Amino acid sequence: MHNWKWIKGALLLGIAFFLAALFVKPIGVSTQFSVASGIIHSALDPNVIQVDENRESGYKSTNAYYDKSDGKLAKSIKHPLNYDFIFVLAIPLGALAGYLFDKGKKQKDKQLDTEKTEINLPEISAPTAKTSFIKKYLPSFLGGFLILFGARMADGCTSGHMFSGMMQGSVSGFIFAASVFLTAIPAARYLSKYFLEKEVI
Amino acid sequence: MTIVSAVLLGGIFGFALYKSGASNPKKLMSTLRLENLSLMKIILFGIGSASILLSLSALIGLFDIGHLSIKNTHLGVIIGGLIFGIGFGTAGACPGTCVAAAGSSGVKKAASSIIGGLLGALVFSLSYGWFQSLGLFDSMNLGKLTLFNISDKFPSVINIGFGGLLIMGLILTGVAYILPDRLTKPEPAKNHISSSI
Repeated sequence: MHNWKWIKGALLLGIAFFLAALFVKPIGVSTQFSVASGIIHSALDPNVIQVDENRESGYKSTNAYYDKSDGKLAKSIKHPLNYDFIFVLAIPLGALAGYLFDKGKKQKDKQLDTEKTEINLPEISAPTAKTSFIKKYLPSFLGGFLILFGARMADGCTSGHMFSGMMQGSVSGFIFAASVFLTAIPAARYLSKYFLEKEVI
Repeated sequence: MTIVSAVLLGGIFGFALYKSGASNPKKLMSTLRLENLSLMKIILFGIGSASILLSLSALIGLFDIGHLSIKNTHLGVIIGGLIFGIGFGTAGACPGTCVAAAGSSGVKKAASSIIGGLLGALVFSLSYGWFQSLGLFDSMNLGKLTLFNISDKFPSVINIGFGGLLIMGLILTGVAYILPDRLTKPEPAKNHISSSI
């Protein structure tokens, strides 16, 4: 009963998802990873996306994914300064504001919030001498690969499918959430134990 | 105007991800290991409260129904979700949270996840045509199906509108509220792990 902070955090998240849907549209993040990797892709291979005057989007692509929905993604890759892309770029700025705000508050009164200290400590403490660079960052890298590969296949991630989807009562959101936790819980409990024993995660 | 709203709304979202603790991989991992369910409570309560706000504002006519966006249900959602889960349980991050973490604490791990994610997205783009030819996105295709009849644009399971969504939101927040922080008492052996979370 002593800790009501979780409700404040939860309400903040709920309000963020609601406001985005109210003013513009439901939040989604993972599509922008396809846009960002597409920008790199089309820089390396300039022919992958070409101008097509006959289309509403104005672009076509030899890649079936970029070409999908009348070249919608192809257009975003060529013109990334749109709402969706800027939205994702603004996420770390908001997180930074919260982080700096917390830091400032901590310096003000030394009565540190115990929970926050516990959370921040492992991040600050240096890794044990034996943990190599690769072992420390490999789980994050591989995990990152799998979440985006899976999210693009499902056409949405925790934000788009789970939060925004379930918020609207979308069946796909519930199915996505059930599928995710079916593998995420065993993966976290058993697969990552391997990394945990080595004090990597 | 578009850019201003993108910066503001994205900023609020990042702030909320950090403040709720969702951007912290250690907290996500302890929830996925079912050691500390606080983040599960936060996720359920967050979704539920968003549903309540959405339904109430729609019921009083404040919400533009045209902003609703429902995704297709098909086999790709299930297989993609299963693959996503393995990554989620390995990195303790999802696309939104690792972007938020890149601006706060744990920057290097977040950057590793983002680089991995860009590669994962690229590999998917390159293999999309193949998955499509296998019929992954056409099998079990239920279209843009919703539980409640919130818009004529989408087929629905139950013929109740935003009132149904409101009840769903109340149930989700209620479940989040009664869900315990921990399923089991922490064992002494696990203590060194929990205390570092």
